[in-house]
Amino acid sequence: MTLERLKGAPASRPLPAVRERRRPLARSLRDWAAAWAFILPALAIYVLIVVVPTVQSAWYSLWNWDGVSAASWVGLGNYLGFLQDPTAIEALGHTGILLLFFSVIPIVLGLLSAALLSRGRLRGEGIFRWVIFLPQVLPSVVIAVTWKQLYGPGGPVNTALQDVGLGWLQQDWLGSFTLALPALGLVGTWTTFGLCMLLFVSGAMAIPEELYDAARVDGAGAVREFFAVTLPGLVPQLGVALTLTIIGALRAFDLIWLTTRGGPGTSTQTPAIILYSQAFVQQNVGAAAAIGVLMAVASLIVALVIARFTGEGAR
Amino acid sequence: MRSRSEVVVNYVILIAFAAAVVLPILWLLGAALSPSAEGVVDLAHLHLNFGNFAAAWIQADFGRHLAISLIVACGTVLVVALIAPLAGYSLALLRPPGGKLLFALFLAGIMIPLEGIIVPLYFDLRSYGLVDSVPGLLLVQIGLSLSFGVFWMRTSIASVPPTLIESAQLDGAGRFATLWRIVLPLQRPAMITLALLVFMWTWNDYFVAFVLMNNPDQFPVTVALGDFTQRYSSEVNLMCAAGVLIALPVVILYIFAQRHFISGVLAGALKG
Repeated sequence: MTLERLKGAPASRPLPAVRERRRPLARSLRDWAAAWAFILPALAIYVLIVVVPTVQSAWYSLWNWDGVSAASWVGLGNYLGFLQDPTAIEALGHTGILLLFFSVIPIVLGLLSAALLSRGRLRGEGIFRWVIFLPQVLPSVVIAVTWKQLYGPGGPVNTALQDVGLGWLQQDWLGSFTLALPALGLVGTWTTFGLCMLLFVSGAMAIPEELYDAARVDGAGAVREFFAVTLPGLVPQLGVALTLTIIGALRAFDLIWLTTRGGPGTSTQTPAIILYSQAFVQQNVGAAAAIGVLMAVASLIVALVIARFTGEGAR
Repeated sequence: MRSRSEVVVNYVILIAFAAAVVLPILWLLGAALSPSAEGVVDLAHLHLNFGNFAAAWIQADFGRHLAISLIVACGTVLVVALIAPLAGYSLALLRPPGGKLLFALFLAGIMIPLEGIIVPLYFDLRSYGLVDSVPGLLLVQIGLSLSFGVFWMRTSIASVPPTLIESAQLDGAGRFATLWRIVLPLQRPAMITLALLVFMWTWNDYFVAFVLMNNPDQFPVTVALGDFTQRYSSEVNLMCAAGVLIALPVVILYIFAQRHFISGVLAGALKG
């Protein structure tokens, strides 16, 4: 034990008591100024890059502007325009379908694997975890390039179908008006499944073993055990997985832009694709800003509603 | 205890999931090494053509884009690792008046999707002359990483035992000395996770760079690959080779620091 440690007399006090009333180091005006100076570099850049543009988005969305000439005031016209545009409504429908693939299916699969794996450790689990999480660290552009080829007319998916005697199913998956969207949705499932699984497995590991023992003493089988112990214990992780995957589906851009560009026709358009083409192709900057605001509001609502039902306050 | 059959079923399911994840990646590797321009992976007559990587490198002017990606990703990591702990330290321990409000402001940035800011951001940068500029992209990536960075460092620094801080104060350590000698040495794991995540997000980013960079000479690797696939769509093997090269840096980091990535992404997910 060093002298320094001994001098820290409060160490003998019980820690929680200290924690509750930790004295701020800053006391005088000078201290406050110094404390602010520590924050200033981060704050300045953050305000410039994030805060100001957020406010500007709301302001831009009230104007009709082509990015070059003078803007004209349209009030809520851009919002009404978006909500009355059939392509926009269609895009929202696509988001709904993507939700199934980006959110519902990965979460169900993740829960299923957590239910199985939480019943005890398996040898080699680490390798499986490594592999299953891998898509999370791949660049979206690499995922898009890979799957575009996999789904291509002469690509491996079609070859595999041929090989297993399902040759009649062969087609240009991403060129199909009906199948392109679900095909891209499955790529989302492929990408997010590992994240959901790890969230749930690590959450399930933290569920006290006694709860499982109690359930087993009551004669619960795997299914009852899942609904009585595992699922209720995973509510916080469920909240996180829902928030992340729903927002991921709302924002879908990279994968779609790099494979189908929203096509064929408008069959894979999403709000983010419309935002991009409004802002940077058709020069309707105000309309694009309005879509951005709607997407931000939707994301915030999703995050807050889910936190309300699954967060600390809900239990 | 579990029965033998249950263990077998578990393995079957795990192997099925792992195979579903890994098969597309193996195909990508196979196509990247394929001698045929269609990227056909012929397992019967396997011929690994490592020359594809060199060909893709030259054809896509990969060196230039790699340099841009490296500057942006490493620059972002450096600056964020420098200023996020400063802000986190102040918000966690110095706690100036208004600090809570500021922290809420940083947190709000985590919740706001990029789409909510990208349109004015583009026009702001254009008016500063920072569109199509590597420093401009670097500045934006720093700004976008800060909300997570400050949140992450504040949370980590707040868990430094108060007794340690108090004893440093009693020793007469000033604010900087406390940060440098007491607080920062304890932040190593948190800083490593932060650096890895910020590097991954910035390196892998497509959307931000795609919007802000219109000049092909200034593309980072991700946007360059997107562009490459449009122009050389007939050379699938080269396209896939380029894809492997682009994915490689983060995958290598992931091999060596799996725990940091997984715990960081999961904790980052819980950041709300």
